[in-house]
Amino acid sequence: MNWTMPFFCLLFIGRICNAATQGETIMAEPILSIEGVSFRYPNQSDYAVQNVSFIAERGEWLAIVGHNGSGKSTIARMLIGLLRPERGAIRLFGCLLDDTTVWEVRRRVGMVFQNPDNQFVGATVEDDIAFALENNGIPRAEMVERIREAIRQVHMEPFLHHEPHRLSGGQKQRVAIAGILALRPDMIILDEATSMLDPRGREEVLETVRRLNCQQRITVLSITHDLEEAAKADRIIVMNKGEVMAEGAPEHIFRLGSKLERIGLDLPFAVKMGSRLREQGIPLRAGYFTTEELVEELWTLYSKK
Amino acid sequence: MSSHLIIGQYVPGHSVIHRLDPRAKLLIVFVYVLIVFWANNIPTYALLSLFAVVFAALSRIPFSFIARGLKPILWVILFTLLLHLFMTKEGDVIYRIGALSVYEGGIKQGLFISLRFLLLVLMTTMLTLTTTPIEVTDGVESLLGPLKKMRVPVHELALMMAISLRFIPTLMEETEKIMKAQAARGVDFSGGRFSERMKAIVSLLVPLFISSFKRADELATAMEARGYRGGEGRTKFRQLSWKAADTAFLAAVALLAVLLFLLRS
Ligand SMILES: Nc1ncnc2c1ncn2[C@@H]1O[C@H](COP(=O)(O)OP(=O)(O)OP(=O)(O)O)[C@@H](O)[C@H]1O
Ligand SMILES: [Mg+2]
Repeated sequence: MNWTMPFFCLLFIGRICNAATQGETIMAEPILSIEGVSFRYPNQSDYAVQNVSFIAERGEWLAIVGHNGSGKSTIARMLIGLLRPERGAIRLFGCLLDDTTVWEVRRRVGMVFQNPDNQFVGATVEDDIAFALENNGIPRAEMVERIREAIRQVHMEPFLHHEPHRLSGGQKQRVAIAGILALRPDMIILDEATSMLDPRGREEVLETVRRLNCQQRITVLSITHDLEEAAKADRIIVMNKGEVMAEGAPEHIFRLGSKLERIGLDLPFAVKMGSRLREQGIPLRAGYFTTEELVEELWTLYSKK
Repeated sequence: MSSHLIIGQYVPGHSVIHRLDPRAKLLIVFVYVLIVFWANNIPTYALLSLFAVVFAALSRIPFSFIARGLKPILWVILFTLLLHLFMTKEGDVIYRIGALSVYEGGIKQGLFISLRFLLLVLMTTMLTLTTTPIEVTDGVESLLGPLKKMRVPVHELALMMAISLRFIPTLMEETEKIMKAQAARGVDFSGGRFSERMKAIVSLLVPLFISSFKRADELATAMEARGYRGGEGRTKFRQLSWKAADTAFLAAVALLAVLLFLLRS
């Protein structure tokens, strides 16, 4: 079989998928849906991921939280075809993820990994952004254009010719995002992409992703330990021992309180504070996630008296 | 330590030599290295030296940088010179120290061979001083391109080289970090007996290897996630452009070869 075969298959499947969805375009169709997916690593008896199902809507910010080894990274890897589920199906953009669609999926879904250094391939920033474009056979003239556009979107223009060792961790992660943007993706997966960064680098990266999510409606799937970060998502999925334990809007999830702490998650300071205050009989409204929001609530409460 | 360890002591610049296509530079140095061995009399050595000196001058690299590149082989040159001085027994005796005698042929031979060494190293140093390692990689990949037909994995080799180059500073940082961490645990890297030093080095190498394997694994995953699937159907961002100057320099080295061939005795 010639290597171009998958592309032809893909084009063909693309047609069918488009035709199939044409009739129901008005209904918001999930950009991603996983149905009953299970996975076991080779030579392991326990499932790393067991019977997991969820969907993501277009333009949504979805957070996945869970303790170490709860299977978050394994799910992320399955989504871009780096691992193959033992059972269940993964659908992206309405198409089943399999050998014929995997390359197109990797173009449309970008992944930022945890360690900023171990995903930087190029000798310089521009070379690194070009890497995925080269892989996808984009003509050189268009590459230059796309690199310029991508670097502008992550505000890294002055660093175009820098080598990786002259960049901070946060800057490297933004280059990784630019590398994804150059492919004009529909979805970005962050697998603890901010966990090795200092607070400033973390804020820079999150700010960049937030902007892309708002302005370009790029779907974001953010895997994190940091519930403070997850609190800003549209929806949170809580993983425990390879299974989905809870799913819902942040205010809904944080109401689980001590249940989350029991599976090894650390509630944000403001949430803990809020529930303590309520226990003391202070009439706070339910659900405060950021420290600023809590302060806002407290002073308005005080001035109402 | 770090500046010393980086392969290729590239000196940034915008001279004619810097701007030559890396393929042209590689070819020039390659041809030069071959024809150096033709030279065997004063006119031929003079021509070769002239070419190398002009080449070095055109690069506008300060002499001190070039000298630093030549320093490590100074001893080799000196040794060769002495060896030939005392071992070659041709022509008239010039000087006698006890049982050793220096012949005219010995002086000539010694000087020629030392000069040959010097020119070889000078030209290869000029290549690394004026070309970034990544340019060298691009040049090698392009020049070896035809070998792809013979199933030589040229693209893979070039990518391997490029990634190794990119990770040198990262691994050096890591080495430093591990050394500090081990020093904090009481490992002494600077002194002690030979066996103790060996133990210290093992305590550095083991973690370094483990982390390198982990890095390699993660990097491979990241590359695959970004759609890498080998050289086929891939376009290239870095492009080499062959200019008139490249042809001119190549013609010059060809002319040098012809002259050398005619003038050698
Ligand atoms: N390559 C592997 N081979 C075997 N088992 C693995 C492998 N990678 C992960 N596992 C196991 O699979 C389970 C899920 O791992 P996974 O990396 O998905 O967890 P995670 O939620 O991403 O954890 P973390 O928060 O630490 O990143 C863990 O029990 C882990 O030990
Ligand atoms: Mg993980």
